[in-house]
Amino acid sequence: MKKFGIVLRYELSEYFNSKGFVIFTLLLALGGAVLLFLPRFIDLSGFTGVQTVGGAGTNSEADASGDETEKTAYLYLDTAGVVRAEVLQQMFPMGDWQPAQSEEALIAAVKAQEAEAGFVVLGPDEYRYYVFNKAMTDSNAAIFSQAMKQFYRMDYCETRGLDLNEIMTVADVPITVEEQVLNKDSGSNYWYCYFLVIVVFMLIVLYGQMIAVAVTNEKSNRAIEVLVTSTTPNSLLFGKVIAGAIGGLLQTGIIMGAVLVSYEVNRQQWGGMLDMFLHIPLDVIISFAAFGLGGYLFYAFLYGAMGALVSKTEDVSKSSGGLQVVIMVVYFFSLVQLMDIDGPITRVLSFLPISSYSTMFARIAMGTVAPWEIVVSFLILVVSILGAGVLGAKLYRMGTLRYGNPLKLSTALKSLRRSE
Amino acid sequence: MRLEVKDIRKSFGEKEVLHGISFQVESGRALGLLGRNGAGKTTTIRILMDVFHANSGEIFFDGEKFIPSKHGIGYLPEERGLYPKRTVIDQMIYLARLRGVHPSDAKANARKWLERLEVAEYEKRKLETLSKGNQQKVQLASTLVHNPEIVILDEPFSGLDPVNSQILKDVVNELIADNRLVIFSSHQMSYVEEFCDNIAIIDQGEVVLEGELREIKKEHGHNRLMLAAENLDGGQLEEKLAGEFADLLRVCGRKKEFLILELTGKAGRKQVMERLASSDIEVERFGSYAPSLNDIFVAKVGEES
Repeated sequence: MKKFGIVLRYELSEYFNSKGFVIFTLLLALGGAVLLFLPRFIDLSGFTGVQTVGGAGTNSEADASGDETEKTAYLYLDTAGVVRAEVLQQMFPMGDWQPAQSEEALIAAVKAQEAEAGFVVLGPDEYRYYVFNKAMTDSNAAIFSQAMKQFYRMDYCETRGLDLNEIMTVADVPITVEEQVLNKDSGSNYWYCYFLVIVVFMLIVLYGQMIAVAVTNEKSNRAIEVLVTSTTPNSLLFGKVIAGAIGGLLQTGIIMGAVLVSYEVNRQQWGGMLDMFLHIPLDVIISFAAFGLGGYLFYAFLYGAMGALVSKTEDVSKSSGGLQVVIMVVYFFSLVQLMDIDGPITRVLSFLPISSYSTMFARIAMGTVAPWEIVVSFLILVVSILGAGVLGAKLYRMGTLRYGNPLKLSTALKSLRRSE
Repeated sequence: MRLEVKDIRKSFGEKEVLHGISFQVESGRALGLLGRNGAGKTTTIRILMDVFHANSGEIFFDGEKFIPSKHGIGYLPEERGLYPKRTVIDQMIYLARLRGVHPSDAKANARKWLERLEVAEYEKRKLETLSKGNQQKVQLASTLVHNPEIVILDEPFSGLDPVNSQILKDVVNELIADNRLVIFSSHQMSYVEEFCDNIAIIDQGEVVLEGELREIKKEHGHNRLMLAAENLDGGQLEEKLAGEFADLLRVCGRKKEFLILELTGKAGRKQVMERLASSDIEVERFGSYAPSLNDIFVAKVGEES
């Protein structure tokens, strides 16, 4: 235990003495905090919808109509005589609509990017849409289709002497909804769960790989020859893994802490627009920390063992490839199953130690989960961590003094069984 | 202090690699552990260090069961290596602490050995920035940083220039004089002859020769003569001896400058001298032959090391 403490301190100093580690952590934490404090010092009302500089959190939407913002140019060619410019102006409030002389002239203007887009109306229910580069978020055609429907309705009512407003009122009665979410609101919790799954996945892969490389490094530079004669392999592996856990936890804690606290301080200035990512309830953060740390430890021990099976750092990816595949598959399923958080697949995944680190906290955040399920899942994870630690230490002990070709995991396990 | 290794056997899977290794070593006397590559030296050392567990056999220290963790053991492995990216002093303190040295003494011990090995000026440098020779010296310093009572040196002179070799020789002599128990594994027989009072030659997992080096040499030199002729080269002389001296001796080895002869039957050195005087061989060199450790090693193991 005493030697474990010595190894742990030495391995920790590896992280804390590393300028890269310290600078990267501080830079990200500071960068995140500075970004989130920006609305206090710079007018971002165009983006956040909240006027903050020179006043305390006043909504600027009311003033938006008076803004002299640059308008977007659109062209149209009305070959059917149905277009009503006032309707277009209403539906595209930031648009500057101009009629085109011909279809060729319209195409040339769009190609020259003098107009954002062009519409050639061929009939009351038919038009062509021209755009130079279509953005993923392009909604011009969808809005113009709505405008065409409106032209059609107006024309229909006018020719038959009907009152369009009356018809529209009947057809589209406004309904008032008072929503009361009695348990979890998956819609609003989805994005921060998504974000946290990515964070814990990155932590496991990044630090796991670092641990595996550190173990292999000790083999490739032969430091292991001296180390295994000075202390037990258990102290060496556990010291390395726990140091990695503390390093990772501290780094993530500092960065996430700076970002989350900065957002909470400036939430009003942001108009709550980042709530879906950064307004995370405390119980979710706690479950994320507990299950995330557990999952991290589980994989870190296995990464350490994988590192001991090879002698050259360039071979680490070979030995840890299988583990990476498992992590990737779990990551994929975790993200996909966020859509069906109370479904059977997520329920099963939330009890497996290979996946509970992401699925159980997602269930806590978004789904219905009984306290006993959390306890059982966590106990399974803890027992699995111990199992991974023992197996990892045995593989580590066996692999550390074997040089040469990478040792296959199956061969290593057979060898372990034989020796026992 | 006396360390006794008794009938150690070790298998890896189905294959037995040590077939009953036994030897002993006392403090103030160094033991040379010799053998070809793959003979079983490193496995034996690892069993001593408790890195591997023997399948059977026992190790005693002063008559008691040997528990490595209770004794300070300094091990300089053949495969050298420390942390290239860490400073010299950091890793020496780390290793001292791992071997049970109190934090307040670890730094002082590290500095003492760095000074003794003339690398104190590099204590704050990263190991990778040092020359190979100085890295070797730091490695030796880290072996001794906890002032071990048992010192195991595996090929300590490999990669050292003559000046650094001399410093290392002095340190090894000091350790022996300081009554430490030194086990010295090397292929460089001249160093073994210089330091070791006892040797144990391991071949294919077995000790094929063990004992006091002086006695072994005496025993292997018994009935051995050396002979060189002015008028004949080695091949001609060997042919002549095989024809005319077959009743007295046989040629058992050949060096660059002379042949090594073994007396057969009851004939002694005097009879050989008389026969030589009456022959047409012009004797250039004749006398008793004391074999080197290398000769003994080759004779026992069967191939030049």
